[in-house]
Amino acid sequence: MLSVRETVARFIQGEGHKVDATPIDPDSGTSELLFRTRGQVFSVTTNEKDTGSLSISTAYEIPEWARDEHANTEARAEHPRVTFTLAHDGSLFVATTDEEADSTEELIRQFWILVARVRDAGAQAIEDIVDRTESQAAAEKFINSFMMGDR
Amino acid sequence: MSDTLKAIEAALEDEGLYSTRDDDDDAFRIAFKSEGDRYFVVAYRDDPSFVMIGSGWALPEGVDTLHAIDVANALNVRKKFVKTALWQEENDVLFTVELCVSSAVEVRPHFGRLLNVLRDSATEFFDMLREDE
Repeated sequence: MLSVRETVARFIQGEGHKVDATPIDPDSGTSELLFRTRGQVFSVTTNEKDTGSLSISTAYEIPEWARDEHANTEARAEHPRVTFTLAHDGSLFVATTDEEADSTEELIRQFWILVARVRDAGAQAIEDIVDRTESQAAAEKFINSFMMGDR
Repeated sequence: MSDTLKAIEAALEDEGLYSTRDDDDDAFRIAFKSEGDRYFVVAYRDDPSFVMIGSGWALPEGVDTLHAIDVANALNVRKKFVKTALWQEENDVLFTVELCVSSAVEVRPHFGRLLNVLRDSATEFFDMLREDE
């Protein structure tokens, strides 16, 4: 019988994508599978002891000026099934969805919907962060100039 | 003649996708899948500046052909790059991007965008067909 890691890896490969599968913790049966789609790398975490669950994540690099973990509250509200975290000292913004089902096969059936969920939520959160930071920076610049009597 | 599609294979590598070649005396051909959907790339030996990237889909049973043509026309007016056409004998709809290039190397940096617009066109076509039912 195929492991969960192998089942998911074969599915993604069968859909046309190269997969890099690595066991993370042999004791707990946790593995990570990496693949690319639409120019973005996604990470799938599987667990051999829990065949009905997996996590899908994608990371975005964010510039230093935009590193504000509270700037994505709208995306959090609109995508409650996706969690957002900062990693690598705040330089990476990670969007993750954890999915539970009765079997690995059931998870696979909705695989691309889950990927789209993470992609849409992550892209919106990044947009919110950059928009807000840019508009805030522009507002501050304007206020500072105005207060200093330049305008 | 040099292999026109080598650069496209490199672009597919960039995208992390598997691909297969099926060349013959007339053409260079690549087949690949992305998120489970099938695509093809063709370049003809006697027309080395022409490259076509596309995907073909079966029309659902019972679709009104005239309505499907209207939807295809609406997309053709609006979408950049993509030509949507009905292949009535096969009851298929084809989405193609046709390019005139000095070398397929020119396509490589834009390949992801072209693939996205092909994918989006197919999604929009079937969404519009369903909406109007």
